[in-house]
Amino acid sequence: MPPRQFLPRHVVALRVSSILVLLLLWWMASEAMRDTQILPGPVAIGRTIIADLRTPGPYGESPYFDIGITLARIFIAFTTSMLLGTAIGLAMGLNWLCERSLLAIIPLTLTTPTILMVFLVIMWFGYSEIGGLVAVIAVVTPYVAVNIFEGTKAMDKSLIDMATAFKAKRYQSLRKVYLPQLTPYLFSAFRYAFGLTWKIVALAETFGLKYGIGYMFFFWFQQFNIAQTLAWIIMFVALMLILEHAVFARLEDRVFAWRTAHAR
Amino acid sequence: MTRIWSRKGQVRRQSAYLPPTPQTNRRLPGFPRQGPKPGRTASSAITVDGLIKRYSEPASQAEFIVLSDISLTIGEGEFASIVGPSGCGKSTLLNIIAGIESYEGGVVAIHPNAVVGGAGPNIGYVFQTPRLLDWLTVEKNIHFVLEAQNVPRSRWPELVATNLAMVGLAGQERNYPRNLSGGMQQRVAIARALAIEPDILLMDEPFSHLDAITARKLRFDLVDVLQRAGPTILFVTHDLAEAVFLSDKIYMMSTKPARIFKRVRIDIPRPRQPEDEHIVELEKTLMREFFSVVEAKD
Amino acid sequence: MLAEKIPYPTFLASLSPFFASLRPIAPSALTLAAGLVIWKLASLFFLPVFFPGPDMLARRIIEIYSQPSNYVVVAETLSRIFEGFLISMLIGTTLGLSMGLKRSIEIFFDSWIMVLLSFPAICWAFLSVLWFGISQTAPVFTIVLVVFPFVAMNIWAGTKAVESDLIAMGKVYRANRFLLLRSVLIPQLMPYIFSSLRTALSLSWKIALVGEAFGVGNGVGQQLINWFQDGRVDMMLAWGVGFMILMVLIDLFILRRWERCVFAWRSRIAT
Repeated sequence: MPPRQFLPRHVVALRVSSILVLLLLWWMASEAMRDTQILPGPVAIGRTIIADLRTPGPYGESPYFDIGITLARIFIAFTTSMLLGTAIGLAMGLNWLCERSLLAIIPLTLTTPTILMVFLVIMWFGYSEIGGLVAVIAVVTPYVAVNIFEGTKAMDKSLIDMATAFKAKRYQSLRKVYLPQLTPYLFSAFRYAFGLTWKIVALAETFGLKYGIGYMFFFWFQQFNIAQTLAWIIMFVALMLILEHAVFARLEDRVFAWRTAHAR
Repeated sequence: MTRIWSRKGQVRRQSAYLPPTPQTNRRLPGFPRQGPKPGRTASSAITVDGLIKRYSEPASQAEFIVLSDISLTIGEGEFASIVGPSGCGKSTLLNIIAGIESYEGGVVAIHPNAVVGGAGPNIGYVFQTPRLLDWLTVEKNIHFVLEAQNVPRSRWPELVATNLAMVGLAGQERNYPRNLSGGMQQRVAIARALAIEPDILLMDEPFSHLDAITARKLRFDLVDVLQRAGPTILFVTHDLAEAVFLSDKIYMMSTKPARIFKRVRIDIPRPRQPEDEHIVELEKTLMREFFSVVEAKD
Repeated sequence: MLAEKIPYPTFLASLSPFFASLRPIAPSALTLAAGLVIWKLASLFFLPVFFPGPDMLARRIIEIYSQPSNYVVVAETLSRIFEGFLISMLIGTTLGLSMGLKRSIEIFFDSWIMVLLSFPAICWAFLSVLWFGISQTAPVFTIVLVVFPFVAMNIWAGTKAVESDLIAMGKVYRANRFLLLRSVLIPQLMPYIFSSLRTALSLSWKIALVGEAFGVGNGVGQQLINWFQDGRVDMMLAWGVGFMILMVLIDLFILRRWERCVFAWRSRIAT
């Protein structure tokens, strides 16, 4: 039986209803536990978020400063890990010596729990911006490196040989044959690293840094204020999702345009 | 007993109702006498009348007519072929008869001889690729369809042994499909289709993915097997020579939209040799006619 | 090497180079030896409690594992890990299967899964402590909520990648849903189920440590944060690395063995 045809309007209806059901379940759960004050409902959280955006934080800083500094940290950590990771991955792919020496170490860094890495770096570098950033970079870079390395391994040798047979210069073949094949891996590394950076920054801000969204929800956690903790967490996740969608959805279409060309 | 069997809820237009065949006389009017072959008790006749299938693209809401007003009649025990270029909807037609695809107009009727369990006639299907379950042995692959058809377990060993022997693979029960060649895998697929003692055998270009030598051998083996087994067969192919060699009747199909433009009876007596001059002559004629129609469309 | 014969989703292959590199032992062993030497030399510049050398670390690990009282700690953590892991496998597999099989369920839940995947583990750790207090449930809840979306996504991808040809064949022969699931779908899903098993376990134990780091009773995570706050790098590393080794051993000797059994039929094939 051919699968039931899903018209776009069905899809939209389903997506909208899924969000509504989620909100509804949340609201019902919060009503059910109203006495214990454990789960504030969506409306209460909404109000808290709006209030939070107006009141200054524990150090008297504006809430936008917290948001801004988190974003700044993410940006710096992300770009650094991407650059470092790509360089390492490419080095491993192109140079046999690099590959052999790093291949034994990198999986080790991948199996290490991130909390251990963060603790370690903070203990060594102290409670400072550098410490936090190094922690994040140390966790994310190996992932990027492995992804890119996999990409170099999956390279289609026959195409490179073809370029050489046509006497293409090294730079040309690098740009036109090598890099485009690497793009999907770059992209998936990009995407994964982006999500990961957000999570590690949250962790680092909790344990070692001053200011920032992560710091805020840790602060409220220590005060056992459920409403505030939830509010800041939701702000964090919402921001991440919006940025991820805005950045990657657009890029994805451009990057993969040649793939989705109709090859019937 | 005639059972008009059309797919649930999708038939939007009924054409002329077919009169039920009298219970004792299991033959349809107008066809040469075909009794049940020795050793077999069941085969069915297929009647397709005015079949229409449409496919609509969900995004653009455009509709394509895949099959347009197809009518076939295949008597019990007959071997009928459908010949047409690739992509003209032959597989879709088979799927509709097998009951796994819906259709938008016309009637598909199958007249079983024996009342089989209530679920309808036994249909065996051999695909272009063997479609065997790689992680099961040959024996267990056949068990799978026997279980699906609710055949009692006590009969399984005997059915497996008989049918594998029939296709020349006796002793291969415990082997895995990946250890077999393409031709042998396709033989297993045929044995699997026969193991359920089908009333109808549908074959969708079963030899097109094999090399010429293996295909030729398998064609001979098929004819051999079917002399003994004898279900009604609907065989789809793009190879006119193959169709002429194997079948009692050929329907020629053109594409876009798919429709049947010619019906030919092959009266050459069996056993046939592919080099037989009658066959070659017939094939040449049909080929010429075929191309004139198909090329006229382009 | 078995690692090559079993298809892993690409992002997981990061685990396999480690085991694949065990093959040509000599060059990597040299690198490791060189690494150890550099480590030892670097550690001479610092206090052992700040930057322990490999010998110091090894000594501490042996100290920890020779005290029976510590086994209780490790056992606590292990029980939480396995509980969380099992529950996430159950929920994740069911959800992934239904999403792969029914388009309406897929569209409904895929946004939920996306959101859940982006939730930092530490947020769940906080929320679960706020909601469940200091109890066994809190870290298990954290583990389940972080891990099950991964499993669901993996199984979902696997179900969609299943060959529809074989399912069509089953349907033509009138196989009912249960038989199709049992004989056609699940065997094809086995590689995906196993790879999710391994990801789920590896993720579960890391999240368990995060979940335990908030004073949730006794566990390895608790130890980590205590030594962190005391400033003892050597003890913290000892507990962390020691536990890491334990989990890697479990993966190597239990999961891989099991995997090899299930996929034994592949070795019986000539190719």
